[in-house]
Amino acid sequence: MGEQAPIVIVLAPLFGALLIAFVGIRFKALCLPVTLGALSLSLAATVETFRTVLARGEFVYLLGGWKRLQEGDGISIGIEYRVDTISGLVLLVIAAVSLLVAIYSRTRVVADTPDRVPYYYMLYLLLVAGLAGMTITNDAFNLYVLLEISSLTSYALIAVGSRRAVLSAFNYVIMGTIGASFYLLGIGYLYIKTGVLNMQDIHAVIIANDLAESPSIRVASVLILMGVWIKMAFFPLHAWLPNAYSYSPTTTGALMAPLVTKVMIYIMIRMMVTVFGLDYSFRATPGMPLHWSNLVVTLSSIAIVAGSVMALSRRDLKKMLTYIIIAEVGYMVGGAWLANEKGMTGAVYHIVSDAFMTLCLFLAVGVIIARTGQSRIEGMNGLFKKMPLTMAAFTIGALSMIGLPPTCGFFSKWYLVGAGIEAGQWHYVGALLFSSLMNAVIFFRIFEMAYFPKEVNEAEPACFDPDAHPLETLEKTPSSMAIPLWISAVTLIVLGVFNYTIVQWIASALQSLNFFPAAG
Amino acid sequence: MKGLALFAVAFTGALLLYATGDFPDWGSLDSPANGGELSTHYIKEVRKETEVPNIVTAVLADYRGFDTMFETVVVFVAGIAIIAVLRDFGNGSRGYPPALANNLPEEPDLIVTQTCNLVIPVLQIFALYVLAHGHHSPGGGFQGGVMLGASYILIALANGVEAAMKILSERKILLMAATGILIYSGTGLVCLLLGENFLDYHVLSRILPTDPIMARSHAMLFVETGVAFTVTAVMFSIYANLATRGTLKGGL
Repeated sequence: MGEQAPIVIVLAPLFGALLIAFVGIRFKALCLPVTLGALSLSLAATVETFRTVLARGEFVYLLGGWKRLQEGDGISIGIEYRVDTISGLVLLVIAAVSLLVAIYSRTRVVADTPDRVPYYYMLYLLLVAGLAGMTITNDAFNLYVLLEISSLTSYALIAVGSRRAVLSAFNYVIMGTIGASFYLLGIGYLYIKTGVLNMQDIHAVIIANDLAESPSIRVASVLILMGVWIKMAFFPLHAWLPNAYSYSPTTTGALMAPLVTKVMIYIMIRMMVTVFGLDYSFRATPGMPLHWSNLVVTLSSIAIVAGSVMALSRRDLKKMLTYIIIAEVGYMVGGAWLANEKGMTGAVYHIVSDAFMTLCLFLAVGVIIARTGQSRIEGMNGLFKKMPLTMAAFTIGALSMIGLPPTCGFFSKWYLVGAGIEAGQWHYVGALLFSSLMNAVIFFRIFEMAYFPKEVNEAEPACFDPDAHPLETLEKTPSSMAIPLWISAVTLIVLGVFNYTIVQWIASALQSLNFFPAAG
Repeated sequence: MKGLALFAVAFTGALLLYATGDFPDWGSLDSPANGGELSTHYIKEVRKETEVPNIVTAVLADYRGFDTMFETVVVFVAGIAIIAVLRDFGNGSRGYPPALANNLPEEPDLIVTQTCNLVIPVLQIFALYVLAHGHHSPGGGFQGGVMLGASYILIALANGVEAAMKILSERKILLMAATGILIYSGTGLVCLLLGENFLDYHVLSRILPTDPIMARSHAMLFVETGVAFTVTAVMFSIYANLATRGTLKGGL
């Protein structure tokens, strides 16, 4: 593959979806093998791309072969892909998570949506293509097109679930469309003022023409920020997320919860770092009482506390996890806006680790639902005895969420807390510690119930959600579900052990951007 | 709550108005979007680089052809999503309320069907013209495809969805939509297999009897045709599924 590796990352799922459209409709048994093949090819291409990036720095791929003007030094006239270690890491996460969830989906998709399996896998592959395309592109408008693909596919992947899923998908459609429109308006404003769409070029024109102070660029930055915040469910713009993720089919939740919000956070970072530049994002605006950085970090602290408190009050495992995601979004947004290198590093590292923590917990909850037919916390009574391996993996995911070593959750939180102290944002540090404490309370409550079963009072039957599916429960956990779960759990520890290497990769990308203000 | 929403709308509107004052004059030749380096390059070099007289088509299908490929995929996804969410495969699995009572008259109305029979062939030929003439005048795959799709919708309106589905069955719709994407991305893939980057059309001159610049122009027609396939199929598919609540029976 070599030089063509970046495009294969996106093309493999696209052609996989086409193949399903041609043969999968008639031969339903081929849908899963095609999906697995396409995602494996995409993962191989991602690894190849990442190795190239490590070996020689940024990897640029020109779509249509349109070279930049003036022998490569001028503006870009086509669309280009540009991979650095940060986007490379996010691409690796997308490829790995989507492949694991595809393996996991073997029995689930047939159980959840028996009559629309080919359509499900087509949408699944196209969602992966959309997410990967958003991450890899260096073109602000190309990003929007791929954003449309990933949004449309996620609406449909949620709505194929139960009837309540249809309503939550509708809420998501409304919110998601508003978010995407804000992003598009922002890009439109940028284009009016700069006349280019390539991210590097937009930044160069803003600097060259001294546009940073102009009202329309400032409004554009606000619009883009609002757009991605809605899409990532940043508190208080989170209302669409809990129902959408908890009523969706098992595999949809397991695919979207780790990936969609994280990719949006990556895009926010890309906008801050590449399009507007850190100088613009973090500098105090003259004549404005508010400092952007302070304001956003305060908002994130509120998001962390609110997400944690709401998570604590939920009696349903899936709902609880979705509120934890909202708190975690606050971690990453806050880290990115702390205005120091450590915070940015911590935020990117947390994208990676949070994706796998969320994956591990969602996969474990999926197994629990498949085995017990419900996801109420009360239903976990004595589960350690019934399914020890699943609960062990769940425990690793939970410990990582709480932030205990040697899991990666500890290290990413460590960097974020350190960055918060360095920046003097004590409320953010406090919110992080509060959230860890809350997660500890939430998960130890579950452990207690699952490890020390209480006598079930027959007069009080376990409360079943009438809409919860599947209604039939499995006797044994199929290996197609157990293996991805265990891989994700082990990955949490591996990511924790190799945290220094990952942080070095992130730091090298931040250094090559070369306009990072002196730390502190 | 209503007050809060009103405040949010007013605030966003004020923000947008505030930014508008900063815009360059409408249609000004000096504005970055009109006279910037990028637009100037497109306007000056488009004939030399692609042989296409219509600059918009060249930007859409070549310079930014990758965007357009995914725009077509967006259309495809919309079609798939509607089927995945709405389609009732006969077992009532979606649990939507039943379709409206079949309010079709016994016989389709004579005047309506005859008028449609007259209009549809003209409409389809004009659609093909719009598609093929996209290089020289406003038009192209999206516009032509929408017209073609509309002609099938017209058949459904006049004779019922089932009559139209006899011409374009559900299976054919899906194949047609996927074929459109395949034509577009396949053109790109051929470029890749010939050793150049994805969608770098000029390398197609090795298999087409033209020079590299003219190959770009021809390739744009291929990809526009692909777009038209997908748009036609998805337009009709969305109509048929929405009009019959996913049953593809009876309906408007």
